[in-house]
Amino acid sequence: MSRLWTYERVGNAARAEQLLAGGGRALGGGTDLLTQLDRGIGDTETVVDLRGLGLDGIVVEDGRLRLGATARIADVARHAEVAALFGLLAECAGSIGSQQLREMGTVAGNLCQQPRCWYFRHPDLRCWLRGGDTCYAQIGDHRKHGLEPGDCISVAPSDLAAGLLALGAEVETNRRSMPLAELYRRPSEDDRSTLTLEPGEYVTQATVPRPADKSAYVRVGERAAWSFALAGVAAARFGDEHRLAAIGVANVPRLLDPADPLAGLPGLEMTAWKRRLLSTLVDDAVAAIAAD
Amino acid sequence: MNVHLTINGGSHTLDVPAQLSLAELLRDGLALPGTKVACGEGTCGSCTVLVDDRPVLACLTLAAACDGAKVRTIEGGSELLDRLQAAFTGHDAFQCGFCTPGQLMSALALLERSPHPSHDEIVDTMSGNLCRCGAYEGIAAAVAQVARVNG
Amino acid sequence: MARLVRTEAVVEGRVEQRYTVVEDDITPEYDLDRPPGVVGRPATRVTARSRVTGAATFTTDVRLPGMLEARVLRSPHANARVAALDLDAARAVEGVRCVLGPADASTLGETPALSDHPEFAGAAVAAVAADSGAAAEAALAALAPVFEELGFVTDLDSALARQEFIEEPSESERGDVAAALAAAEVVIESEFDAPAQMHNALESHCAVADWRADGLTVWTSTQSIYQAREQLATMFELDPERVRVICQFMGGGFGAKFGLGAEGVLATELSRRSRRPVRLVFSRRDENRAAGYRTPARISFSIGADAAGRLQAIEASAVMGLGTGGWAYPILEPAKALYACPNVHAMVLPVKQNLGPAAAFRAPGVMEGTWALEQALDEVAERVGLDPLELRRRNHADTDPGTGRPYTSKRLLESYDRAAELAGWDSRESLRGQGRVRRGMGCASQYWWGGGGPPAYAEVRIGAAARPVVTVGLQDLGTGVQTACAIVAAERLGVAVDEISVRAGDTALAGHGPFSGGSMTLASIAPAVRSAGHHVRTQLLDLAAEMFEISATDLTLEEGEIRSVDGALRHPITEVTSKLGNAWVTGSGSRAPNPEGMAVNTFGCQIATVAVDTATGVVRVERVVAVHDVGRIVNPMGARSQVVGGILQGLGFALMEERVIDPTTGTMVNAGLEDYKIPTLADLPEIVCEFVGQADPHLGLGIKGLGEPPVIPTAAAIGNAIAHAVGVRLRAAPYTPRRMLEALA
Repeated sequence: MSRLWTYERVGNAARAEQLLAGGGRALGGGTDLLTQLDRGIGDTETVVDLRGLGLDGIVVEDGRLRLGATARIADVARHAEVAALFGLLAECAGSIGSQQLREMGTVAGNLCQQPRCWYFRHPDLRCWLRGGDTCYAQIGDHRKHGLEPGDCISVAPSDLAAGLLALGAEVETNRRSMPLAELYRRPSEDDRSTLTLEPGEYVTQATVPRPADKSAYVRVGERAAWSFALAGVAAARFGDEHRLAAIGVANVPRLLDPADPLAGLPGLEMTAWKRRLLSTLVDDAVAAIAAD
Repeated sequence: MNVHLTINGGSHTLDVPAQLSLAELLRDGLALPGTKVACGEGTCGSCTVLVDDRPVLACLTLAAACDGAKVRTIEGGSELLDRLQAAFTGHDAFQCGFCTPGQLMSALALLERSPHPSHDEIVDTMSGNLCRCGAYEGIAAAVAQVARVNG
Repeated sequence: MARLVRTEAVVEGRVEQRYTVVEDDITPEYDLDRPPGVVGRPATRVTARSRVTGAATFTTDVRLPGMLEARVLRSPHANARVAALDLDAARAVEGVRCVLGPADASTLGETPALSDHPEFAGAAVAAVAADSGAAAEAALAALAPVFEELGFVTDLDSALARQEFIEEPSESERGDVAAALAAAEVVIESEFDAPAQMHNALESHCAVADWRADGLTVWTSTQSIYQAREQLATMFELDPERVRVICQFMGGGFGAKFGLGAEGVLATELSRRSRRPVRLVFSRRDENRAAGYRTPARISFSIGADAAGRLQAIEASAVMGLGTGGWAYPILEPAKALYACPNVHAMVLPVKQNLGPAAAFRAPGVMEGTWALEQALDEVAERVGLDPLELRRRNHADTDPGTGRPYTSKRLLESYDRAAELAGWDSRESLRGQGRVRRGMGCASQYWWGGGGPPAYAEVRIGAAARPVVTVGLQDLGTGVQTACAIVAAERLGVAVDEISVRAGDTALAGHGPFSGGSMTLASIAPAVRSAGHHVRTQLLDLAAEMFEISATDLTLEEGEIRSVDGALRHPITEVTSKLGNAWVTGSGSRAPNPEGMAVNTFGCQIATVAVDTATGVVRVERVVAVHDVGRIVNPMGARSQVVGGILQGLGFALMEERVIDPTTGTMVNAGLEDYKIPTLADLPEIVCEFVGQADPHLGLGIKGLGEPPVIPTAAAIGNAIAHAVGVRLRAAPYTPRRMLEALA
């Protein structure tokens, strides 16, 4: 596939914002962006490498965690303090992709990756999410797809997002700060993006305000290692409060209502099995965070 | 674009197109074909090389993004790599050998960072390198053997 | 003296008649009861150094001065006509040296490599060669193809309804199945859907062609260099002696790389026209769309048995989805030939679909046919209340059920016994457990051919340094056949295996060697190597006899020394060879035919233990016991690797591998390895591997082939183990969490 864009490693925030505002696409590890560009998804003139902005810190301070946008997933997974206080995130990070993808991939890149769907990523099809008219998945083979009804049934794959959502993380951009859930949006007829980032805006860090009393991540893939999750559920308990988040079931990482975790996720006939799987994973995750 | 990189200890200043992958640079530009490309989209691990000691997929790494980096490939050689190569041979850890350079680079990165990996750590790390001939048993045994000698 | 003899060989279930030249063989027979010595001792690969250092030159690594990069324009539609194609615009792109359109394909043999009526998504329409990959891709864009989309058929049901076949449907019957079914005390009806499994050799199909005034050289990743040479000579009307095919290292093939593929045809035509070397490497996605797969099939059985579990009748049918090519792989052969059943009727319907052509894939037909049959057999066992292994013992075939021919050797019953012992079969009922995770154990039998046969030739030479060179006209898929050749030669020459070099993978080097397939390679070439080695041995001993003034019959070659039988005389071989100066002592050998009127088959049994998480649907294969009867084992280390590798491919078929075709567009949606999953190290079960076979008394060196046998029974054993664990049998593979949860719902 032809690559026709230029590349720039930006050294300051102003330049990053300028290029991204002009239609550039942000590169962290490149593992999702380059495969998209090679398949003709979201063409751009400039690939903007954000790794030169010094955003790669992983800092635990006063029980609070800051994950820099370009911190490597592998470094999150093996960070001693993260493992000690925010073990859920170490688990989530450790279950992402393969070792090499974890070494390359970055925190923000993982959070902002595009959904998984074999039609969306099909080089010869232009589906609804890519700006076309048809959700091929819903009229075709959607055995692995999402449970939430809508114009698109692709699924959010970020294991890290599940963990961060369960922990009540905030995400900061060069312009604002917000709960992580607000980084995501369901794509709509007039805007097919799954992110709320404005032109020129990019994630700078994710922060977790406090450790959970207990947490767990459970997921099922298509083989024993190196697989996107068919579904994954992160759970965290803060005193009596349970927070549950799931990936692999909807366009965006999704907070689940502990009282009715499958609400709004009816699925289709071909994905009925996934409701059952999700239900099991929720039970397993909840059981794992029960008070001793 | 001008990049300066160190490849297997040698210093190179090169003018590369923005879109060129590190795998293409190594294989076509620098005549280092030991790094293999089997999928071209980051799924198989055949193109694993070390960039600043991290195992990365050369097919999804832009050469232009490697400015200032230290790149090591199967052609680079080291005492630890020698021992891994001998252990791969002794455990019949390959059949066709096409994935082998990538397997070895992953194993090298693992043992450099973690000289005494647990079995789970070996399995977890090496699962990013697919082998269609199915030489996994030998691969795991070879890495474990070198790790034991480390200790 | 050379003689021409007619011989019969079974190649993946097809009987071939061949004439072959054989020389009188003075080589003494290899002692059948001989304990493992050089032959039978584990040896590391003679090619290891090249493979672990990255120095091995695979086709994809070949770089020639002035070499052009080729790219292929492929149809994105399941069925279409090319309405417009701007060849001139592509030719005008800077750096483009040659553009081929559909009209240029008429010269390229019977099956056009390019077509203006591409009948599947991924079918080649045009090809370009340019100074760089980027220029070639720009040329593809400039072609601006316009396609007129046509109706298509991709699923088996519609394909069957359309009644278009790749080969005529075929049927065969022995006995009277209808009557026997009517009279049977127990009848089971059973149907299975086998997925299309993709080869995904990590080296995709690729070729480098260098057309020159004095001849053509083609590097290509092929399982048969000689077949590729013949095809090139025919297609391009060249003197075969001026065509050289090289495949020194090959990154896997598994059946999809016989002869010359489209990559070789197109690279050669582009090179012929541009007068430059041309390289064409398929992308992973093109590999999976256009370069073959194991045929998906619907396999149905009615099986009748008596109350004691003795098979009375098998009615078998299979609809095989061959896409746009391939052949009717022997999918019902296990039903016909694995058990002693007097009445068998088999019908095969090889349907055409708007999909890429099928290709042989390690035990083509037989693997998926065994997967279905062996599960149906467990259903019979359950109905008659018999232990599944006992049912198989009761139906053992003492002679080939189809022809009545005796087997050259068969140790299937021993395989059952040994596998049962190693697996703890007798206590399998206690495995299951009561909780969420259920365990189960299942078995399956293995049947295949693999006796090898002529033609196969080898040359051995030794020079002053006593470092023998074995030259064979074959290619090494990665099975380790070169190492096995070194071992066989080492035994005759009395030198260490690692003193021997093996040259292979080049038609310019040696006489005709076997293709790599059908589990035939080693069984074909080994006797020729041994014979060639023996010729060299005889000459060396004659020279030594003269030097040391002793009768040659009193001398032997062992451990790098020439020794007298009484032990009184010991000299390094180099003491004789150093007198050769720059001369060589050479010997050649050929493969003799197999015995007539006998069935040559391999057998075995695998037993799998699985754990099924009934709440997530995740199946974990915990252990596989594999006991195979494949004659003499030349290199136990390489043999074990073959078994482990075969089991992993069978495990992939069982748990995760399946081509998915979109019903709306007819295109493959999982052509990349992120969606088409193959097993990783983490999926590896514990594997226990043994061989029961001793040497086959009717074959040279007693060797039978091992390439396909291990992949054959694994998925069936896993399916049976799952049914044992959870009491539900899944009718379609792979056994993903989805299928498992749907079955348990």
